[in-house]
Amino acid sequence: MKSCDQFRELIEGYALGALDPEDRAALEAHLATGCPDCAKAVQEARWLVCQLAYAAPEAAPSDMLKGRLMQTVRAEAQAKPHVMPVKSAIPFWLWAGVAALLAFSIYSAWNTRRLQNEIRQANERAAVLQAERQKTEQELALAKREAMILMDPSSVKINLKGSDAQGPQLEAKWHSQWGVVVMGENIPMPSPHHVLQLWFIPKAAGKMPMPSMMIRPDANGKFVLLVSNPPESMDATKALAISEEPEGGSPWPSNPPRYSGGVS
Amino acid sequence: MFLAAFTSSGPREVSPDATLLSRLLQRDVSAFEQLYDRHSRLVYGLVLRILEQASTSEEVVQDVFLQLWRNADQYDASRGPFVPWLCTVARNRALDHLRLKSERQRRREDQPDVLPSVVIAPEYEKALDEKRRAERVRALMASLTPQQKRAIELAYFEGLSHSEIAATLKEPLGTVKSWIRNGLLRLKEGLQGTT
Repeated sequence: MKSCDQFRELIEGYALGALDPEDRAALEAHLATGCPDCAKAVQEARWLVCQLAYAAPEAAPSDMLKGRLMQTVRAEAQAKPHVMPVKSAIPFWLWAGVAALLAFSIYSAWNTRRLQNEIRQANERAAVLQAERQKTEQELALAKREAMILMDPSSVKINLKGSDAQGPQLEAKWHSQWGVVVMGENIPMPSPHHVLQLWFIPKAAGKMPMPSMMIRPDANGKFVLLVSNPPESMDATKALAISEEPEGGSPWPSNPPRYSGGVS
Repeated sequence: MFLAAFTSSGPREVSPDATLLSRLLQRDVSAFEQLYDRHSRLVYGLVLRILEQASTSEEVVQDVFLQLWRNADQYDASRGPFVPWLCTVARNRALDHLRLKSERQRRREDQPDVLPSVVIAPEYEKALDEKRRAERVRALMASLTPQQKRAIELAYFEGLSHSEIAATLKEPLGTVKSWIRNGLLRLKEGLQGTT
């Protein structure tokens, strides 16, 4: 490795542009280390080399050269009357950096908003799915309960006969713990603006029928109704009855029963 | 007084060149003409010494001054005196021209581009007018040994490298390096002693 003094011997040749590639590379590597003495010596050597221009014999160019130059300069000055752009106080790389930062900020804001929208939409979809799942679970639980009531041997079967002996008959099964399932097929639709309503007829004398749920047969007149919490116990109930009532149901029967069956 | 405005120490004065250059930035044709009148002889003499052909030299000088007119903002007055910068531009342009005709073009491409804007006057710089400065430099060059003078001229005016000069002069490489270094140091000492 060369010492600083050895590099100093190269500096005049460097300022002249006369160093061979190896020497030049070695000196530039040394200058790149930030050696202040050598850097100053290079500056002085460059100035010294510039003085060699005065060693050339002075000579005057032709008047034609000046004429050509001035003609060109005047033409360009008239063509471009604007002020020559002065070097910006803010370097290009800084503008580029600011532009990149601004673009990044805009992109980040846009991306954040997009992500927030996606999260909100995902949350909404999750809530819908959660509600659907809960509904399905409830339906499944009811179906399971219906099946248990219908299959359990301890359930009491109740036949609900129609007022028309030729009409369809309904059937109910009552489990003391799980509730009552009422079902039927080919049931005539109630009159317009009316529904079928289930009633529990108490055994106690003078006690009014207890209103229960509304029955809405499908297009084929089929229905299955689960009453999870009957208003009366099986022991205190004399019979089940179904009557046609105004839409929305009634607190007490307003029409004679279309179907009824005793609880044995 | 010209260079005093650009020296790194001492009180600063606004030189005629500095005033003209600031007007040149405003596209002042008159300022350009005055700069040309002040320095075209020095620049042309340098280029003619390198190229040794008047017509080609005038083309190069025209390029140099048009570059000054079109890109005056490339010269940073705060970083160094104007005349060395202008001479460096002219020398580089002339040597490029010279090398275009020779096989040394490839080596030129490997050379560092000596940026004119980093020519900073040293502390010992004295305020000489151009005429006295030229006389002093020529006298100092004449005081060098013929070998030193020839080696420096081959490097500066013909753009030869140390090894090319050694081959041209048929002298050892180390000897050529010493001639150039000692000659330039002698020149430096002489300019330091100039009052």
